Amino acid sequence: MTSKENKDKIVDPEYGLDSRYRSKKEQKSEATALMEARLKRMKNLSRDQIIRAKLMQLKLRMEEFIKQPVSDSHNYFSDFLKTYVDIIYSKRSKFAHDIDVTPVRLSQVINNHREPKDEFIMRLMIHSEKVYKNICEFQNSTWIQVYFHEKICDTMASQKHWRPMVEKHVKLSESLH
Amino acid sequence: MNIIETSKRVKHEVEILPVEDYENLGKDRYFFDWGMEHQYEVYTLQIIGSTDILGLLSIEKITSEWRVHIRLLTVARENKGKNKRYGRIAGNLIAHAAKIAVREFGELACVSLRPKSKVARHYIDKYNMRSTGLTLNIEVPEILDLITNYDKQGK
Repeated sequence: MTSKENKDKIVDPEYGLDSRYRSKKEQKSEATALMEARLKRMKNLSRDQIIRAKLMQLKLRMEEFIKQPVSDSHNYFSDFLKTYVDIIYSKRSKFAHDIDVTPVRLSQVINNHREPKDEFIMRLMIHSEKVYKNICEFQNSTWIQVYFHEKICDTMASQKHWRPMVEKHVKLSESLH
Repeated sequence: MNIIETSKRVKHEVEILPVEDYENLGKDRYFFDWGMEHQYEVYTLQIIGSTDILGLLSIEKITSEWRVHIRLLTVARENKGKNKRYGRIAGNLIAHAAKIAVREFGELACVSLRPKSKVARHYIDKYNMRSTGLTLNIEVPEILDLITNYDKQGK
């Protein structure tokens, strides 16, 4: 390192932080010591701390999904919903009770046997506001965005199935120049 | 997420994006030659609506250890020291690494650094990191507070 670079580093520890391990050997020995220390601390995590981490993880996954370009067809909404309920509740029926739907209806949505109604998504939205209030920032539009982003993905990914039938019903009677 | 323009105490909303073009990411302004990091995940921080890169971060995901290791981190040259133009650039980039770790590994998430000893204290004091050997790290629950703090300051 040149003396100029050295001087820069002393001026500000956030300018030019080189945090790479110096060798594979150093990385391995550091990783072993770090993992041992972490495992000890993990044992002392409280249930609340674990739930908080899992809810933050779910939120970040949903935000990541919304940002992704339209891609494959997958049941993201129901997967995220299932994760959300199972993080917070010991029994899914308790969540169904809390948002005033029947356990059967909740099960149908989670297992992709029925689409969630608008009312269902709105209740879920309000429930999440209450849950995330003391945990982290949570945009209340997140569930709706996940639902519609999945719809777009589904529709675009399955074009070869629906397009032949749908095209029969579409014509352009006005000529455009 | 936001940064503060130090002279006016004005907040600017920022975004952190993967690097698409390594040209103009040279040592003169960003301390390292960032092209050498192309096989890792490299992120830039910029004010929303601007293409000017104010800070850079490269990370390595170590999935087997539920860990994201920060390899290189820098603010742009004009944002270092007492006369920096913008503050909170590095904090936002570290919070971004924390988000990646929590998104991937949940309650097992960890972000680590291996700084030289003379700057380690800064990261311990400012970001609530702990040290194990030469490595500094942040994990649950402190990592969640770091994310929340930088997200809240964005309001």
